[in-house]
Amino acid sequence: MAEPLPPQSAEPYDPNPPESELEARLPAKRMVLNLGPSHPAMHGTVRMKVELEGETIVRADPEIGFLHRGFQKSCENVTWTQCLPYTDRLNYVSALMNNFGFLSAVEKLIGIDIPERAKYIRVIGSELHRIADHLTCVGAIGLELGGFTAFLYGIEARELIIDRTTELTGARLTTSFGRVGGLDRDLPEGWTEKVLKTLDKIAILAGEVDALLTRNRIFVDRMKGTGVITAIDAMDFGFTGPCLRACGVNYDVRKAHPYWVYDQLNFDVPLGENGDNFDRYLMRIEEIKQSERMIRQAFQQIPEGPVIVGDWRIALPPKPEVYGTIEGAMAHFKLIMEGIQVPAGELYHSTEAANGELGWYLVSDGGGRPYKVHVRAPGFAILSGIERMVEGRMLADLIPTFDTINMIGGEVEQ
Amino acid sequence: MSEPSEKTAAKGEGGKPVPGAPTNVPGGTGTKPPPPAPPPAGKPPAPPKNPGFVTLTIDEREVVVKPGTNMIEAAKQVGSEIPYYCYHPRLTIAANCRMCLVEVSNAPKLVPACQTPVAEGLAVKTKTEVVKDSHRAVLEFLLLNHPVDCAICDQAGECKLQDYYMQHDFQPSRLDDRKVLRHKRKALGPLVVLDQERCILCTRCVRFMNEVAKEPQLGVFGRGSHERIDVFPGSSLDSNYSGNTVDICPVGALLSRDFRFRARAWFLSTSPSVCSGCSRGCSTWIDFFGQETYRYRPRENEQINKSWLCDQGRLSYKYLNRDRVLAPALGRGSDAQEIGAAEAMKWAWGKLEPIARTPKLAVLASPLASNEDLMFSLSFAKEALGASQVYLGGRPPGEADHYLMTSDKNPNRRGLEWIARGLGLATKPFEEVLSAIEAGSVRALYAVGGEIPSHPPAIESLLQRLELLIVQAINPGALSAFADLVLPVSPHSEDEGTFTNLDGITQRFRAAYPSRGASQPHWKWAADLARAAGHAWVPNSAGEVFGETAKRIPELASFDWDGAAPLRQLWPGGGPLPAAADGRPAGYREFGRPRVRGI
Repeated sequence: MAEPLPPQSAEPYDPNPPESELEARLPAKRMVLNLGPSHPAMHGTVRMKVELEGETIVRADPEIGFLHRGFQKSCENVTWTQCLPYTDRLNYVSALMNNFGFLSAVEKLIGIDIPERAKYIRVIGSELHRIADHLTCVGAIGLELGGFTAFLYGIEARELIIDRTTELTGARLTTSFGRVGGLDRDLPEGWTEKVLKTLDKIAILAGEVDALLTRNRIFVDRMKGTGVITAIDAMDFGFTGPCLRACGVNYDVRKAHPYWVYDQLNFDVPLGENGDNFDRYLMRIEEIKQSERMIRQAFQQIPEGPVIVGDWRIALPPKPEVYGTIEGAMAHFKLIMEGIQVPAGELYHSTEAANGELGWYLVSDGGGRPYKVHVRAPGFAILSGIERMVEGRMLADLIPTFDTINMIGGEVEQ
Repeated sequence: MSEPSEKTAAKGEGGKPVPGAPTNVPGGTGTKPPPPAPPPAGKPPAPPKNPGFVTLTIDEREVVVKPGTNMIEAAKQVGSEIPYYCYHPRLTIAANCRMCLVEVSNAPKLVPACQTPVAEGLAVKTKTEVVKDSHRAVLEFLLLNHPVDCAICDQAGECKLQDYYMQHDFQPSRLDDRKVLRHKRKALGPLVVLDQERCILCTRCVRFMNEVAKEPQLGVFGRGSHERIDVFPGSSLDSNYSGNTVDICPVGALLSRDFRFRARAWFLSTSPSVCSGCSRGCSTWIDFFGQETYRYRPRENEQINKSWLCDQGRLSYKYLNRDRVLAPALGRGSDAQEIGAAEAMKWAWGKLEPIARTPKLAVLASPLASNEDLMFSLSFAKEALGASQVYLGGRPPGEADHYLMTSDKNPNRRGLEWIARGLGLATKPFEEVLSAIEAGSVRALYAVGGEIPSHPPAIESLLQRLELLIVQAINPGALSAFADLVLPVSPHSEDEGTFTNLDGITQRFRAAYPSRGASQPHWKWAADLARAAGHAWVPNSAGEVFGETAKRIPELASFDWDGAAPLRQLWPGGGPLPAAADGRPAGYREFGRPRVRGI
């Protein structure tokens, strides 16, 4: 019979025993903390599984899918035009940019050019929503770092843009604006003047946010040098947009592959240096100003004319033609029931959305419905890099990092 | 189909002129292709590239066809679609719609592709600017007086005006005058209503009635903008083939009065099936929505019905929808109570077991049931019930006509005969079972199918004498009224299977939608009874029944059940609208009640 085992101690082995029994020790083992899925600092509904050693993050594993809606598969069941409302729900903070990006890709697949006026309106809409997106992001950073005032200013300014969006599209968030071949309606009466006044007001409010945060000691301490990612890493992860430019990489789809009328507008692409939270924040503050500049230029340059192509195979006929002539009735019927007959083929097309390159990989089998719609959501690539940005850092750094990458559940989880 | 006749519309049977018929019926005279032009003198024609065939190029692609091939069909072989309205492969050529005009190398002007004979070395171009202009011009002309009716037109969604307009015209209207008004809803006959405003005067209907139905009831009247299709004064379109004019009408002018305003084409899904109206077994499409059949359309079948369907068969779908037995019911007449299927099986076998293998029990089989239904039901009857003969039920005989319709109104009499013979069962007429009941030798009846061929006045008292009557029925009838147990049965729209027509041609049909209520196909009820009787093996599908039993039936043993299935890719996306990549038509819904009331 074997020797009896030595009695096991109830306490686990401790290499550094406390000097005194009164000394309280933190447990030596790692702690797993679930941030979210329902947490005020987790935008949308995302769960962050954080492994902590003390307060230091060892691993951070974002778990997505709570907002998955089957966007790509749903698109295969509807006509190309009917995909449009689904795109609203991708980045719901700046729906117009998704709408127009998708439409641009479909137009490129068909091989048509849209009227000049429609291009200007698309630029105006996109830049307005870029401002809205950045204001939300910047305001939320302030909010989650304890500065509620900045958030209120940001949201007040965003609300003005949403009001203008409502006047333009009829909806606050789910705009479904634009159609393949242009836009479904022109700018409303007096809208231009209202937008210009709105821009004045936004400049004041964004200036307040800037003044409240950018030189705020507490804010700067928590933002500067946290959430750092190098330019090489950022490119490897597929970062685009403000998060990439904060690392000093000069890549903006509007400059690299100009679309619509961006090549006729005078604007600068702000670049950062450090790739930290503070630079990403500054990118957004600066891009708000650049967008404002672009909108003002666009309003000066915008020509008169149609807002949608006149081809009845693509654009719905005007209503008097639909109700009054058989030709219009037939074209309307076929477009609604069978959809636009997009030639067979595939393409990748991208636009610069608020968070980066919003890419569309479309496949058509020649019918009225997409064979495949794939979205390259900018937030997806950026979210995948969050572990690299926070590992080895303090838990408190995770909050501003998660804020500045501006992950939007709708587009990441589709 | 009989061969296209050279007889003119103005002549009836025997070539006698029909009084009152105009002699200028367009399309009535089958236009013969003009004889080939004699070769120019002095220069011998080059020998054909492929002797015995004609070699020509269509859109710069070479195509080799038999002499006399239609140019539209030749173009299809190389993937060039030439649009047409008046051309129909089974009718004579009228060449009056002008939609198929193409450019050919041997003529200075555009020529109609449907009428121009293919010639050696001919170069045909179907996509040049001239041809495209011609398409636009023709469509503009056809649409000039066309009413703005898509929203209320039954044809919308399967209309060739819509299709070709979107493909070839897509221009706004230039009409700044009023459209010519004509008769908007003229009931031509019991099944067909005509909207003369929508008509494009392709004369397909006129030619069909003259050449295929051989009942010249339609003609073209008037001139110019007032030209119109109509019946001859004092007559009506009452042919048994009038429904086909609705099918071949490329626009919404001729509409079925039965189907009119009942459903929109894009809500319907379709399934390949076989008409059960008579023993001809015409191939059909069942157009359905939810669990309801809305119409039959003929399906191409060169052997049986070509592209046609008779009106009696076309309307025979109604028993699939209306007045169905939907739950097992126990008890006679007013005592009948609905029960569950398992309980019914237990009760039925409890009653059948003591009298099985005695002459007291007779088996009645209906030739309305599919081969698979009969195969397993009769196998069960022979092996478990000990039957040695089977009495023939089925619908009573009716009228036959000169073309498709037969007097036997049951789709599968030949199959029933084959199966009974193959299983070693004698077949006896229905009257004999009545006399056997009267004589008292038969005291119990197991009926596979509730239809009976004759209805003598004494039948009620005879049926009441039975100690046990188990009826598997689709619709209530004389048998089920006196049955101790009624079992609900799925018709051919609700299960797959085969029918064998009077010529011995066996055809597969597919299920359109799931069985209504608690109904099951006959083979499934027989399988449930067999399970209740303790049989080790019972089939799980019609295909399994066929695979197991067909080897015992010499005529069906070689039938390729899987191979004979209508093409899967035609179903369910064979609907009128172009389908998505996976074959679903627009608005396709597999099950469920209609969301819109009234359709």
